[in-house]
Amino acid sequence: MEEKSARRSFLLSKGWLQAVIIVMLLGFTVLGILALRTYQEGAPVPVKIVDPNGDLVFDGDDVSAGQQVFLHNGLMEYGSIFGHGAYLGPDYTADYLRRSSNISIAEKGGPPVDKDGMEIEDPDPSPMPSADVARQETINEFRRNQFDEESGTLTFTRSQAEAFERLIPYYTRFFSADNTENGLRKEAITDPEDLRNLTAFFAWTAWAAAAERPGKDYSYTNNWPPEPRVDNKPTANALVWSAISLVALLGGIGLLFGAFGRYRDLGWHGREQTVVSFRDPSKVTLTPGQKSTAWFFFVMAALFLIQCFVGAAVQHYRAELTSFFGFDLAAILPYNLLRTWHVQLSIFWVATSFVAAGIFLAPMIARREPKGQGKLGYFLLVALAIVVFGTLIGSYLGIHGVIADAATNWFGLQGFEYLDLARFWQVLLVVGLLVWVYMLFRVMRSRLRREHPGNMPWLFFLAACAIPAFYAVGLLARTSEDFTITEFWRFWVVHLWVEDFLEIFTTVMVAYMFVLLGVVRERVALMVILLDIGLYSVGGVVGTMHHLYFSGTPAEHMALGAFFSAIEVVPLTFLTVEAWSFLQLGANQEAKSDAAFPHRWAVMFLVAVGFWNFLGAGVFGFLVNLPIVSYFEIGTALTANHAHAAMMGVYGMLAIGLALFCLRYMIPSKKWPEKWAKVSFWGTNLGLAWMCFATLLPLGIMQLYKSVNDGYFEARQLDFLTDKTTEMIEWLRLPGDLIFIVFGAIPVLWMTFLGVKYTLIRSREGGGGDDEAGADLFTVVSGTSLEDEPPEFQSRTDPTPGT
Amino acid sequence: MSAEVLLGAAYAALLLGGAVVLEWLSRHTHNRSQAYRTSGFDYDAQHDFWVCHQGEQLWPAEFDRERRLVRYRARAAVCNACPAKRDCTDSTGGREVTRAVDPWPHSEAGRFHRGIAVMLVVLACFELSVVLVRNREAADIAVLAPILALAAAMAWWLARDLVRTPSGFPDVKPAHGNRIGSE
Ligand code: HEM
Ligand SMILES: [Fe+2]
Repeated sequence: MEEKSARRSFLLSKGWLQAVIIVMLLGFTVLGILALRTYQEGAPVPVKIVDPNGDLVFDGDDVSAGQQVFLHNGLMEYGSIFGHGAYLGPDYTADYLRRSSNISIAEKGGPPVDKDGMEIEDPDPSPMPSADVARQETINEFRRNQFDEESGTLTFTRSQAEAFERLIPYYTRFFSADNTENGLRKEAITDPEDLRNLTAFFAWTAWAAAAERPGKDYSYTNNWPPEPRVDNKPTANALVWSAISLVALLGGIGLLFGAFGRYRDLGWHGREQTVVSFRDPSKVTLTPGQKSTAWFFFVMAALFLIQCFVGAAVQHYRAELTSFFGFDLAAILPYNLLRTWHVQLSIFWVATSFVAAGIFLAPMIARREPKGQGKLGYFLLVALAIVVFGTLIGSYLGIHGVIADAATNWFGLQGFEYLDLARFWQVLLVVGLLVWVYMLFRVMRSRLRREHPGNMPWLFFLAACAIPAFYAVGLLARTSEDFTITEFWRFWVVHLWVEDFLEIFTTVMVAYMFVLLGVVRERVALMVILLDIGLYSVGGVVGTMHHLYFSGTPAEHMALGAFFSAIEVVPLTFLTVEAWSFLQLGANQEAKSDAAFPHRWAVMFLVAVGFWNFLGAGVFGFLVNLPIVSYFEIGTALTANHAHAAMMGVYGMLAIGLALFCLRYMIPSKKWPEKWAKVSFWGTNLGLAWMCFATLLPLGIMQLYKSVNDGYFEARQLDFLTDKTTEMIEWLRLPGDLIFIVFGAIPVLWMTFLGVKYTLIRSREGGGGDDEAGADLFTVVSGTSLEDEPPEFQSRTDPTPGT
Repeated sequence: MSAEVLLGAAYAALLLGGAVVLEWLSRHTHNRSQAYRTSGFDYDAQHDFWVCHQGEQLWPAEFDRERRLVRYRARAAVCNACPAKRDCTDSTGGREVTRAVDPWPHSEAGRFHRGIAVMLVVLACFELSVVLVRNREAADIAVLAPILALAAAMAWWLARDLVRTPSGFPDVKPAHGNRIGSE
């Protein structure tokens, strides 16, 4: 960009920017190559599947149609495919593989099976010499890849074709059952065509799970799921890259701490702080845009509470499947409907808080707000509400079968876990986020013009742009596309959002808050932000592939994913131990300020974010990250453990912290609900920790043990979940959930209500305090400058705030 | 003895271990950030003064009771003439270093970590009790009771310490340092 003389120059040496840009470019180049490889080498969907006589068993369109039946009925929020999805139902890849291989073995003279394809318990297990032969033949047949790439024809063996025909009735019985015993609605799927296609989809995933890649001795899914009947066991790659990534992690941590131990003084520490005095927050005038955020936070808290209640009901299905305290809940709100609501709401309420905090901070950064921002704010809020309730209602209609096919794809649900919402709502959400970016832009425009694109205002704006940009990538996942490819794009959103761009936007916002409060120098904050972007992106970008070890993507996805995502843990450790504590330093009482630091609980929530980043993302994330662990673990309670600790712990706590920061300016100091803030802090944190440690972690460990010992299929069975000890563990979480809701979520709702109330009162009274937009949040008591740039640039800068 | 008893006992032990690790990590972070704040300065605990990297000594200047910290200051004349001043301080009154007894938010972050540790231990007690109610044979009790006793003792000790530790949040009223010593 052309450097105008009016532009403030970059506060650091150029090397910082170059390093960050190179890291990003390299990361996305690799990811781009992997995208290409996914299209080239992803598990192929054959044009047609024939039996040995050449008669059609099913074709590629059936698989695609079956995939859509699966997604549009919300089954990915019930069970899983390739290990990804919900955990109450079975993994259908493993399920079909088990049943079809059993049928094949029985047919070749092995142990007999029932009509569901499960082995009949033999009262007299006398050795059957024919059984070993049958087993070996089944292994050979399932592993031999009979797919002809030229013609796109896959030839099933006789017993594979037979298994398919025999399993259609089984899945028909399961999905069209006239009761809600499985947690699905009654007669969830009844159309014979749909049921056949659904079975074809399962059959295809199971085929890809066992058939060896051309020229390789492992299957398209790197031999996942573990299944002795088809000789699926961990590949050499899985072992080797597990070991390498472990070393990478330890080495990375060592290097980083070594480096910082040696060059402790990056320039951020040891320098005496300028002493500032904090403005009384309620004396800070709020712009119309900022006032509109009161409603955003109220909506956020309401969605949060709803999510909690929905979550409690989801949990109840696990503890007591067949009834809800004697009431047939599944008739109205089947498990998969509640699960998709739960997951979607978690994203919605966190996003609402981020959006609001952005709108709130922008005028403070730009020190102005153009007319009409308040109206735009309310418009955006209404648009978001439409998306949220449209999504919730749409998924209700879709899962209950009120709308179907194209209608459900556009207005019901697409059904990809985490991107469940229908396409129309998805597009609308992207548009809404773009409106948000536009809102930030119109506020920041003149400020941006005067700044070097590497400085904080730009980073704030660019980090905000990345949020809709990467959400929009989700549009590439179409329900009609091959599953391997949809999974690839889906995880760009799921992973890159939470493990890269949201972390970055978070750091920028938090750093900016401290700069605005005058407790951290801009130069130092910029250094932390760039360091953070660099560190997160080194591992986080390519690390996306840790979700795609077994989804039909080639082995290099696993290798690179394992390696780079292990490196991701390094910044988490580092930031927790070092940089976060540095940011908090700003808020300490050394300064002889005569007004108390106003953001006690916002900062404490940030402390909690640091803690959960370390425990939930770093420790629990790494616990399931090694390919060899993931191989047995994927789709079990250990994933839920990680997901809750990371998603609620990091982004949930952050959303609440941001809300408290902004609310502090809306609620008069005299009325500030200090006690409620404290209660919600302890309530959310203790509740979440209890949930993880009382139930999710121990259950996950037991399930992993079961998976390694008895088999993955067994570990995912409902009767494992309803075993006596596991049921006790499921009940143990109850006190934690109660604490979380009563002392966590409800106080947050109350505080946001106060925000709305006092904003309304203040508007009616016609403001208060000064009338200049985005007035300073502090005044300098001693010290000369907050922007310690080299003196030669001083003359060109804007008047420094507060001096 | 059922598997549940062994598992329950092992997991409770794991929770107790987790609490201990958390305590340790929390203290470690606290110390590290403390060290960062004063990096470049060496503290002489015996004589209670600091030496900066240019060799100037900083002596106690005041004790801030409300904020529970000691401020140490270098001689203004020396600092103002110091070539490293730009990277060190904006103040013309001489560089200041503080030693806080328990600075916020680390004090409160410490309480937070302690709170989580207490929760882990209480959870261990709760879980052991539930298992104990469900498995009441002599052998079960022999395994579970000692761990339960240990957990209860830990819970009591940690919780008592938590209650006694102040949050250290600086009070709203302005602080007035008491001058001590001379400059
Ligand atoms: C704040 C940051 C993070 C958040 C919010 C987060 C959230 C999640 C969520 C919601 C899932 C479940 C996805 C699914 O069910 O398909 C998940 C899965 C996973 N996460 Fe994270 N995560 C974070 C950081 C990390 C880190 C740092 C690592 C590893 C070093 C990691 C490793 C994994 C792995 C391996 C899975 C797949 C587990 C499976 O599918 O069974 N995550 N994460
Ligand atoms: Fe991830």
